[in-house]
Amino acid sequence: MMNLEVAKKLLQIGIENAKEMGRVCSIALVDENGWLVALHRMDGSPSPTAEIARDKAWTAAVFRRPSSEVSAYGDPRAPGFGLNAQNWNDRLTIIPGGFPIWGGDLIIGAIGCCGETPEEDVSLCQKIIEKILRDKIILEFKEVG
Amino acid sequence: MNQLTLEQALKMIEAAERWARDIAGSPCSIAVVDKAGAVIAVHRMDGAGMATTDIAIEKAWTAVAFKMPTLMGSRWLDPRNIGKLLGDHAMGMIGRGKGRLCFIPGGIPVTDEENEVIGAIGCSGVPSGVGDISDTSVSQVGVTALYE
Repeated sequence: MMNLEVAKKLLQIGIENAKEMGRVCSIALVDENGWLVALHRMDGSPSPTAEIARDKAWTAAVFRRPSSEVSAYGDPRAPGFGLNAQNWNDRLTIIPGGFPIWGGDLIIGAIGCCGETPEEDVSLCQKIIEKILRDKIILEFKEVG
Repeated sequence: MNQLTLEQALKMIEAAERWARDIAGSPCSIAVVDKAGAVIAVHRMDGAGMATTDIAIEKAWTAVAFKMPTLMGSRWLDPRNIGKLLGDHAMGMIGRGKGRLCFIPGGIPVTDEENEVIGAIGCSGVPSGVGDISDTSVSQVGVTALYE
């Protein structure tokens, strides 16, 4: 459902916002099954941030919830305990900064940001998602097909 | 030595993408890495297979690691060349580099004015064997765009 045109637009918004904050980061966009569509690493951003951003986006896409919320299942008192011991394609992460992107009830894909403090990563993701809702980027995309 | 910037990487990717769409007519993934093999940008075009992003990154990584196009390296692994070429023992390359080595043609290193390798571009998803259209030719368009 995620296409390259939308992904590029979201990356542009994200990078503009990161520049405003005066930070460097990596931003990854994945489709609804967690497969990478586009990834940009800003100049000066450490190299592992690219892979971490991708992992966050993957986690958000496959679990259909923000990557920080997945940690609730790793609690020994919760029924889902054991999730951390499964083989998750080496991609599962509980670091905040991955968010699913919804078009109504339909999952479009997910976004992951890495490079700043987790709080800043989260706020950057939220800024991009707010922008999607405000400018109706996804609605536009739905009409196209 | 110059650094490859995100802006330059996107310039390369955009040009290669346009060529892949309009002339090759095959959706593909294109990746650009810096001189340390770290990913700068990756794009997967609509309709390209989901595994192509990783293969494009691996091709670019291999190109920068060996400072030569993966097309050259692919000759080492061709079983038909065993006993004919220098380096015919290179079948052992398979599975090296923590699984990141990929000698499928399609990765090309890019150099600066002093002929130092500053990064590489990799493409995956274009079927080869149709005229001059292949992963390598898409990557070549990206390299050319950098020097324009």
